[in-house]
Amino acid sequence: MQVYLPIAEMSVDALLLLGIGFTVGWLSGLFGIGGGFLLTPVLILIGIPAPVAVGSGANQTLGASVSGLIAQWRRGNVDLRMGAVLLAGGFIGSLLGVQLFAWLRRAGQVDLAVAFFYVVVLGTVGALMVRESVSAILRRRRARPRRLHEHLWMHGLPFKMRFRKSRLYISVIPPLAIGFGIGLLSAVMGVGGGFMLVPAMIYLLGMPTAVVIGTSLFQVVFVTANVTFLQAIQVGSVDIVLTLLLLAGGVIGAQFGAAMGTRLRGEETRVLLGALVLAVALALLWDLLQVPGQLFVIGPAP
Amino acid sequence: MRRWALRLLGLLACLAVAAPARAQAPPVAPPSLAAELSVSRIEVTTAFTGGEILVFGATERLIGAQGDEVVVQASGPSTSMVVRQKVQMLGLWVNGPAARFNRVPSYWALATTRPLTELLDGVERADLRLGLELMPLVQLGARGAQFRSALAGLKQEAGLWVDQARPIAVSGGRLFHARLPLPATVATGPYQVQVMLVRDGRVVARQELRLDVVRSGTAAWIADVARFQPVLYGLACIVLAALAGWLGSVLFRRG
Repeated sequence: MQVYLPIAEMSVDALLLLGIGFTVGWLSGLFGIGGGFLLTPVLILIGIPAPVAVGSGANQTLGASVSGLIAQWRRGNVDLRMGAVLLAGGFIGSLLGVQLFAWLRRAGQVDLAVAFFYVVVLGTVGALMVRESVSAILRRRRARPRRLHEHLWMHGLPFKMRFRKSRLYISVIPPLAIGFGIGLLSAVMGVGGGFMLVPAMIYLLGMPTAVVIGTSLFQVVFVTANVTFLQAIQVGSVDIVLTLLLLAGGVIGAQFGAAMGTRLRGEETRVLLGALVLAVALALLWDLLQVPGQLFVIGPAP
Repeated sequence: MRRWALRLLGLLACLAVAAPARAQAPPVAPPSLAAELSVSRIEVTTAFTGGEILVFGATERLIGAQGDEVVVQASGPSTSMVVRQKVQMLGLWVNGPAARFNRVPSYWALATTRPLTELLDGVERADLRLGLELMPLVQLGARGAQFRSALAGLKQEAGLWVDQARPIAVSGGRLFHARLPLPATVATGPYQVQVMLVRDGRVVARQELRLDVVRSGTAAWIADVARFQPVLYGLACIVLAALAGWLGSVLFRRG
């Protein structure tokens, strides 16, 4: 069943979009992430223009994360103070990110930049996640007690603040910087950034795992809302029909994934997620490295 | 189908009436060519998967080697296009030099009763700009013929430029119809269709027809809101996505 996407100005098979939504939703439910980092590359792969894939990807991630946020909020797993600090950085980051995106689009380098960002960010994050979780599994085997969190040099920076729910007393500069970075990447890559935010909160900020998911969802929902809004008014590349089709498949898939996810242990989940992130990065890198089938691309003049 | 068949009948009746009129005192020259479009408006809805421009008509003389020949050429609204060449940089394939073409027809199609080279000589074809390679395009930016041929190649691959895909079908010696395929990615706007009658290597009659491709229904409405009310559209996208996500998780909650 073909459906015409009004902003992308093309016809796509609705069942294909529902299927992609379902698969990404299933994976995101399994790992507790928004799934934008899988969605945007797949959309580009099936021929959706990169700006529309990024804009609608952010919009879809927003929808996919809302119910998770509500559930975590009810369980009291959101550190509102930490969330607000992250969000402040995130708003500034996404604002600048959309400007960068609009500039890249004028320069005709959006496709390359999006792919390049994906390779670098996903490659780094994936490798770190796999390494960390493998060593965590090994540590568990050796049954060495783990400290509550490591104190890093950056926690000692000025402007210290008490984050009661996270049981932290650290400088606001690291969470602000993390929020900023995620916001920037969110705007350029069309992702929520949960897959980067969660490890950053665990390994860089030292937050307890219980509040990490809820607080990251808090940041993701509001930053993707901001990206959606800015992309819509500045680039004009959010396709609501595409978003809603992906969401329809996504919310169903997420329920199945979540049910399965409860049966996996934390470290094993992280190894799998890290491997998945690495696989996406390698696939995109391969695309950048191999001789393209078409040596020319055409597009509307800016 | 039925609609254009009826119109064709009407057209035939006109020609039939015109023929005896020649014998009478004030000689009204019979039209040597009469052509029509099956529809004057193509609507792009959310279920649009492509369509076709159906041109039909009749000629005064018989269509064939010794008689009349018909050329149909359609073009869509023009846009500016950028063609970028991918180059290898530090092992990565990146978008390199770019050439800009202004006033590029977003859609272009040609259909003839016989191969065009048999109908018109090179000078005539160039004058009428019949042929992809004869399209008047000004190249700005990077130099080189490869950009223009890449543009033509990619446009043809997308089905947006069609060079004599199917010959014009002729029935009964004087009736012709041509189907020009429109892919789902066609641009909206006014389209011009030129129907030319070729006799002895010259164009002796010509008719210009107009067609509008318009977005309609929900698709048009969404595109209009997105373009003219971007703030409202952005906010609506946020609310709709959040509602859909929340509603979906309530409806499909397991256990």
